[in-house]
Amino acid sequence: MKNNVYTLVFAAVLGTVCAIVLAVPSVMLEPYRRANMEADKVRNILGVLGVPVEKNASSQQLLDSFRSVVKEEKRGTLSLYRYLQDGETMAVAVPFSGPGVWGPVEGFLSLSPDLRTIRGITFHKHEETPGLGGEIATESFRKRFIGKTLESVSGKAGIRIRPPGSPLADNEIHAITGATMTCNKVEVMLTAVIQRIKEERNENVK
Amino acid sequence: MSNSCGACVSLCGGKGKATFHDGIWKNNPIAVQVLGICSALAVTNRLANALVMGLALIFVCMGSNLIVSSLRKAIPHRIRMIAEVVIIATFVIVFDQILKAFYWDMSKQLGPYVGLIITNCIPMGRAEAFALQNGPSLSLLDGFANGLGYAAVLAVIGFIRELLGTGAILGHQVLSAEWYTPNQVMILAPGAFLVLGFLIALSQAIKAPVQEVKK
Repeated sequence: MKNNVYTLVFAAVLGTVCAIVLAVPSVMLEPYRRANMEADKVRNILGVLGVPVEKNASSQQLLDSFRSVVKEEKRGTLSLYRYLQDGETMAVAVPFSGPGVWGPVEGFLSLSPDLRTIRGITFHKHEETPGLGGEIATESFRKRFIGKTLESVSGKAGIRIRPPGSPLADNEIHAITGATMTCNKVEVMLTAVIQRIKEERNENVK
Repeated sequence: MSNSCGACVSLCGGKGKATFHDGIWKNNPIAVQVLGICSALAVTNRLANALVMGLALIFVCMGSNLIVSSLRKAIPHRIRMIAEVVIIATFVIVFDQILKAFYWDMSKQLGPYVGLIITNCIPMGRAEAFALQNGPSLSLLDGFANGLGYAAVLAVIGFIRELLGTGAILGHQVLSAEWYTPNQVMILAPGAFLVLGFLIALSQAIKAPVQEVKK
């Protein structure tokens, strides 16, 4: 009996002491960690918008340059990041996300100011198979999107990912060999966001 | 002063030396005990990652060994393992938090592996096998030696993989891209297995050059 009480008391004391030891750095370092997470997101947006950034810029520098040239705006269900230079829109970034093969995929699509042409794309979060689906994050795949239109000639919204070697229309790109499933998922999530962009664009025109 | 010198002498000679030699070489946690393999394979595609991971393990092993050894007479026998895990976890989380606050990029590259030190067999094994039986200063040394033994193996694997896989060391190109084609296998998981296998074979060969089974 006495033994059990001692064991319980020891466990309680050890747990409490460790919790306090952990609470101190957790509270003290929280602002740094938050700034880093924010900067991480900002780095992706700046990158896809084509804003020139120093290679070894600190978190604070990234946040500063983000605040000075990028304007965030909500349009319906979309949040847009507008890259402004001397009052003129240079490019617009739109976040997209969706399920991949192994886990969620997140990225940003960078568009021309009229929201009709793709300027660039990033996939900053994905868990696809390295060497196969994981290739979506490589520059050689992301480059394929540049200059593509958001809809086909007949006006159907969406990017289509076609088998390698097939002839391409303005809204089509070549898939990655061996990553058909990932490419299909990417096509679905991009088409969904493009559909929303198109709706927003039409609303604005009205 | 004389006290600390006395402690130092007793550490450096006899038991201390043996403890140190055990951790680094004779009973190296990776090369001999083949513990902590998961992280050793996962984070060694860059030398810098391997070094930070080694540092993390040195920190955790020293800290947990010191605390467990200091409390060894107070820890109830029945819950000693869970107590060890709690102590180890505390040190791991502190290290992880510091990494996340000040070395964000490194923290991102190491991914979950810093947190997974909690389940790494090395700190737990040292606490259970050494710190519970020995005094704090000797346990601290044991933690350091084992951490360093782990770190050294990781550093060697990281060095070989980064050099062959990217032609660079710590990000500086040393093998010119003009004549050296980076070997992608070294960056991927199979490269880690290969390098580790050769390394263990090499260390065994050095330790026991001719120890064939005689019938």
